[in-house]
Amino acid sequence: MRERTSTETLPGTLDLLIPKVLSRDSMHGYGIAQRLKGLSEDVLQVGESSLYPALQRLLLRGWVQSKWGVSDNNRRARYYRLTEVGRKQLARERRDFDRLIVAIQRVLEA
Amino acid sequence: MRQLLRRLQHAFRFRRFARDLDEEMRFHLDMKRQEFEAAGLDRSKADNAAKRAMGSLLDARQGARDIWVWPWVQGLSMDFKLGLRMLIKYPGLTMVGGAAMAFGIAAGVAGFEILTQMLDPTLPLDQGHRIVGLRNWDAARDRPSPHNAYDFASWREELEQIDDVGAVALSERNLTTDDGTEPVGVAEMTASGFRIAAAAPLLGRTLIEGDETLSAPPVAVIGEALWRRRFFADPRIVGRTVRLGKELRTIVGVMPESFGFPLAHSFWIPLRRDVLDYGPGEGPSLVIFGRLSSDATLEQAQAELAMVGRRRAADSPETHEFLRGQVVPYGKLFLEPRDSWRGLALANTFLVALVVLICANVALLIFARAEARRTEIAIRNALGASRRRIVLQLFVEALALSGLAAAVGLAAARVALHSFWSMREADLGRPLPFWISDGLAPTTQIYAVALTVVGAMIIGALPALNATGRGRQAQLRHSTAGGGGFRFGGIWTAVTVIQVAVTVMFPATAFFFQRWVVEGLTRDVGFRAEQFISARLAMDAETLPSSSKEGVQFHTQFRSTYQDLGRRLESEPGVTAVTFTDTLPGTLHAAERYEIEGIPVSELGREARLAFVDVDFFSALEAPILSGRSFELADFESDSEVAIVNESFVNQLLQGRNPVGRRIRRAALPNVRSPGPWMEIVGVARNLGMVGSDGVGLYRPLTSISSPSVEVAVHVKGTPASFAARLRSLASEVDPTLRVHDLMPLDEVGADLWLESRYLSRVLAVLSGVALLLSLTTIYATMAFTVAQRTREIGVRVALGADRGHVIAVIARRPLTQISLGIVAGGWLVALVFVGLFQSVPNLTEAVLIGAYSVLMMGVCLLACVVPTQRALRLEPNEVLRVEG
Repeated sequence: MRERTSTETLPGTLDLLIPKVLSRDSMHGYGIAQRLKGLSEDVLQVGESSLYPALQRLLLRGWVQSKWGVSDNNRRARYYRLTEVGRKQLARERRDFDRLIVAIQRVLEA
Repeated sequence: MRQLLRRLQHAFRFRRFARDLDEEMRFHLDMKRQEFEAAGLDRSKADNAAKRAMGSLLDARQGARDIWVWPWVQGLSMDFKLGLRMLIKYPGLTMVGGAAMAFGIAAGVAGFEILTQMLDPTLPLDQGHRIVGLRNWDAARDRPSPHNAYDFASWREELEQIDDVGAVALSERNLTTDDGTEPVGVAEMTASGFRIAAAAPLLGRTLIEGDETLSAPPVAVIGEALWRRRFFADPRIVGRTVRLGKELRTIVGVMPESFGFPLAHSFWIPLRRDVLDYGPGEGPSLVIFGRLSSDATLEQAQAELAMVGRRRAADSPETHEFLRGQVVPYGKLFLEPRDSWRGLALANTFLVALVVLICANVALLIFARAEARRTEIAIRNALGASRRRIVLQLFVEALALSGLAAAVGLAAARVALHSFWSMREADLGRPLPFWISDGLAPTTQIYAVALTVVGAMIIGALPALNATGRGRQAQLRHSTAGGGGFRFGGIWTAVTVIQVAVTVMFPATAFFFQRWVVEGLTRDVGFRAEQFISARLAMDAETLPSSSKEGVQFHTQFRSTYQDLGRRLESEPGVTAVTFTDTLPGTLHAAERYEIEGIPVSELGREARLAFVDVDFFSALEAPILSGRSFELADFESDSEVAIVNESFVNQLLQGRNPVGRRIRRAALPNVRSPGPWMEIVGVARNLGMVGSDGVGLYRPLTSISSPSVEVAVHVKGTPASFAARLRSLASEVDPTLRVHDLMPLDEVGADLWLESRYLSRVLAVLSGVALLLSLTTIYATMAFTVAQRTREIGVRVALGADRGHVIAVIARRPLTQISLGIVAGGWLVALVFVGLFQSVPNLTEAVLIGAYSVLMMGVCLLACVVPTQRALRLEPNEVLRVEG
């Protein structure tokens, strides 16, 4: 059985991962979840109870914007787009995250 | 900041936000299901699998909501809902407490609004707060200086901090149309008045600068009300000619009803440019106004005017030495005498005290409820709710009640204000200034919110703090182990005692005030005023006097006209005497400070009231001189300095010594004015209704005082009122421009002096009634509640064989002691304030009434003890112990 790794292990990472996923293209919530799953090779399975609050949080902060559009299967869906503020924030978060990971690794390898 | 805006956006459109989120998640679920179907599951299994994979939708929804709404807001809204539920759960408390608070808030808010509109009015005009009044305060006479046309001209030129300096002369003229003649208030105003008030005419045009030139044709602008009433809303009014006094004027415009500038006017004519040509201290008396320039403050404008004033005082010391330029908010130019402000301020203090009293009462009721819920509070506390959280919860619950009360109170306040202003307008017999409105000013609305919050704090937070205070663990133990009832602690005993004391005080205040008003209204004026008819006589000055010499000429003409009327009146068959004065008995007399030769007093002298009277004043009033002599014709020659003092003057200022032959003079004001000339006291008169300064006063000959009007008192046989029409027709026969105002029996004169007091007296009576009723309700409710809480104790006592009467005595002792203490404290307050401060002792009826409602309070308290005790006594002791245990 594949070990399930939830985002809970590193709180706040969704706020980093979602903008990353959205940095190329605008996407709906389901698409974001799928992309996360795909990119992490099924390690990251994001439940809606954390995905949608995270999206709302990003909306509140102004990092993403949403707009209703039509999905590939011709259904009404809400698409999220990374804003300029979000893009800058992503870069900053990324730097911080990298520093954190390096620090953790140093500790673990010591 | 942007986040805050987004949150607000969410708050206003939260339904749409929720709908969008639901739709979004439905879409997600469908996609997930399709994914599982594609993997080979049938539809129902795919559906279940999708739902499992999605997790709790409810959690997602709640999680999303938590993002947008601060947790404390969610907590508050929950508390508020709980508060509303509590209001429904305890309908009795909601009704009594809510109604009481609504009443308190209505009274407080209405009082505040009236006070604000009277003391610090806001003009309902564009940039109204920048409109100011300008005047010269005469420091020597302590009043605004008249004859300021010269100052107007100079201020208009010199002031830079104030734009559009304009002026208006107020007068009354007879308006004659085809339908007859009536006196109208006329505003002779510069065109800038229309500009400052930024008002557009309903028809035609406003006055313009061109109308002010000497060669311009005489024009007038009228108000909508006058246009409708006198001209039947004639659409072709513009261009019509009317007669104003002796002059024909063409109407060029009609102003809308809302425009009453400068005061409550509906007839405007241009102020002619020659008003600018007067020398210092000459010319008409003008109301001068302007608008603060865009970057100026009132203080800067004041500083500039003071500087200009100093220059003027140096140039013209003989007229301007004691004049101090003042820039005041426009509405304050027309304020009533300072004394009546104090009355109003006092009234407002009283109203705030009332709100606090009411809230304290409601707090007692709520406290009882909070005590009943102490188990709930203790459990919440044990479960981890902080004291702050619990206090906040009870505060918000109380806010629900006080908010509801405020809504009702505000509506009631509007109704009360409407009737107050209508009543005042009717009593005054003239329109109120244009800035008076039925509405509630923004400051009053803020005040109402403050009252609501303070109310909620008193009724919610205070009991909550008390209920969650020290020893709450012990309470928890008590409540879970079936502990006995509770008693109000020290603070609540104090609240009960204070509220009973204030309740005793309230009706006493009403009684004394009522008596003071009645005494004022029925004051003995020392002669048979009911046999006289009186009126104020005035005359149109067709053109504003162009010099002080012309002014003297006009007054000479006025005097000979009214004296002519006096002779005509005396020859009437029903008339026995006619006399003139500047101030009628029973009305407020002018105050002045005097020094008496040979009597050492402080530098400032002693205050006395003054009236100028005709030669036959005392004989006409059938009030012969008590010692010395009356005035003689020779006293009316110029340079004759004589005075007659009244009995109060002799008794209070001379301690009964003989005044005849002594000399008095107007006291000097240090650094302001030197003393007046010495006057010889030639006689002593009875006290004849001098109002103010405890009736101490003196009379001087009515000679060439340059008053624009004079009072006439006519002694008639039969009913004075029936002579009114004859007096009017005689006046118009003597001179058609002689105006007769305030024609009424002399004993009714001066009643307007008591107008505010009469209102206040009525309001006090109603408020006292309500306070008493509320107090009784609270006493009953809280006492009954505390006794009911002691049911278990009663059961134990009875089980141990206590006598029933003894039980009642034990239970009632504490509440009765509290009430007695309150009554004693109230009695002491009454004595302190009324006997100590006003030297006024309650009469028998009042004493009996105060005693009666003290007994009533004790009775209600006793009843509140007996009823629940009896109920407890009827139960079997073991039943009581079982139930309570």
